[in-house]
Amino acid sequence: MNEPLLVLDNVTKNYGAIEALKGISFSIGKGEVVALLGDNGAGKSTLVKIIAGGLEPTSGRMLFEGKEFLARSPAEAKAAGIETVYQDLSLCTNVDVVANFFMGREITRKVLGIPVLDERAMEAVVGKALASAGTRIPSLRTNVEHLSGGQRQAIELNRFVHWGGKLVLLDEPFAALGVEQTRRGLDMIRQVANQGIGVVIITHIMQQAFQVADRIVVIRQGVVAGDVARNKTSPDAVINMITGETLAGAGPAG
Amino acid sequence: MNPRTRIALEFVLDNLVWFMLLFVLVVFSIFVPNYFQLGIFANIIEASSVLGVMSIGLALVIIAGHMDLSVESVAALSAMAVGILFCSSGIGLGVQLHPEWLMVPVSLLLALAVGGLIGAFNGYLVVKVKMSAFIITLASYIWVRGLVLVISGGRSAQDLAPAIRWFGIQRLIGLPLTAWIAVACFVVFSLIMAKTPFGRHLVMIGGNETATFRAGIRVNRNLIIAFVLAGAIAGLAGWLLAIRTSGATANLGVGLLFNAFAAVVIGGVSLKGGVGTLPGVYAGVLLLSAINTAINLMGLPANFTQVIHGLLVLAAVLLDAFKQTIRQRLA
Repeated sequence: MNEPLLVLDNVTKNYGAIEALKGISFSIGKGEVVALLGDNGAGKSTLVKIIAGGLEPTSGRMLFEGKEFLARSPAEAKAAGIETVYQDLSLCTNVDVVANFFMGREITRKVLGIPVLDERAMEAVVGKALASAGTRIPSLRTNVEHLSGGQRQAIELNRFVHWGGKLVLLDEPFAALGVEQTRRGLDMIRQVANQGIGVVIITHIMQQAFQVADRIVVIRQGVVAGDVARNKTSPDAVINMITGETLAGAGPAG
Repeated sequence: MNPRTRIALEFVLDNLVWFMLLFVLVVFSIFVPNYFQLGIFANIIEASSVLGVMSIGLALVIIAGHMDLSVESVAALSAMAVGILFCSSGIGLGVQLHPEWLMVPVSLLLALAVGGLIGAFNGYLVVKVKMSAFIITLASYIWVRGLVLVISGGRSAQDLAPAIRWFGIQRLIGLPLTAWIAVACFVVFSLIMAKTPFGRHLVMIGGNETATFRAGIRVNRNLIIAFVLAGAIAGLAGWLLAIRTSGATANLGVGLLFNAFAAVVIGGVSLKGGVGTLPGVYAGVLLLSAINTAINLMGLPANFTQVIHGLLVLAAVLLDAFKQTIRQRLA
């Protein structure tokens, strides 16, 4: 494996007396796709939120590009180069496609020293990004509330591909997508990884994990129950890790 | 449906309140004697300046997904502060500054500061302490009005300094400067909401606060600014009110809050947040004012106004629901 992009070292998270994460340690390399698997309530989403700045860990540390790292807000994580696509979509349905694409990063030009939205420039960028990804949306000026679930998810996916950064976290990104769109989504992930960006994808669908991931990390009851290269394991072995029947091929367990 | 009718229909839906205003003006002009005069139309704009300015602040906060019930009392407190300092009779202290024009910026800054401070207080409690905006600003609505009563002792200040009064007397193209200030406020804030990142962020926060937070927008900061702006704008409304009445009474502006609410809702702002534009709100304000003027001209007892305003708000909400169904068909 090449040099690690993000290293998690014994990260824990307690909600009161409940230990959601009991000590998670694994790492993600540059250009590597890691599939994060685990049963419901295993702590996958909590882990993603900690990396993305939505939650603070109770203890443990993280190294990002070799430096001590802790995002206190999503803005900090973004500034460091971490993009996140959440399970429940993060779109504002009351504004149009362009506004959503550029949420928080609007292109502006100065008019009398005041930043003014440069709508034309933004629309051009969005048009190009969507076209190159093969996403068809009738008008970029329609409010997102009028778009279908698949179109909405496509906007989110295109958004992360466009902004890239250094590490991308995807929490069940294909939940609302059809077969063809999912295939395209998986292609997008490969394409992003080939640019040297690290990708963490949470999924429930074993087939997707095996299609796209370089490495598979299984979390069970708040600890890493398995950390294996994809070509050294099989779906059956992974299912056993998820359900906890065996620890075959398991990495360091908490 | 072909694209052109669709675009036309969308345009009508987006600007429905302006069409309503136009319709009402035409109907009144035809059926109410003496309604169709430039002077009447100027009066409609003039009479709506205080309400208009106040509605801007209220609309900002509602579009951002919150609520500010305190604007009316804040305006009254600002007016009272200006009144006490710069009025020469009643409880007015009759403070004189030299040169005289200095009283204008000083009184204006005072009004804005009073409003901005209360706005900051509201914003802090709502955003940082995470309390319900409805309850916090309801409390402010009550205690700020109480403060007006306390500092005035229930009495009034009269005879505002002529240098400040000048804004209510001096006319430009048939309208007093106070009305132009209101119009300018609408233009400026409409541009801010439609064209700047700050305005865009407020609209998006009103639509999906979680999404904007995840996108790295500084939600808390933006919301506090919105509350401070609403307070400061209410302060400006109070300043205009003091000029208009040439002083301040303890019950100044009572009832304005509900008119402002009516204007905002009629103007197409959704109380759920994230939906609405300031030009629409201005049309709502003018619509209320146009109806008031008609009631006056027809010689109906003024008590009818409240009934009509209430029905109008009801109609606006029903219309909003109706618009939603049409939009869903269009999509």
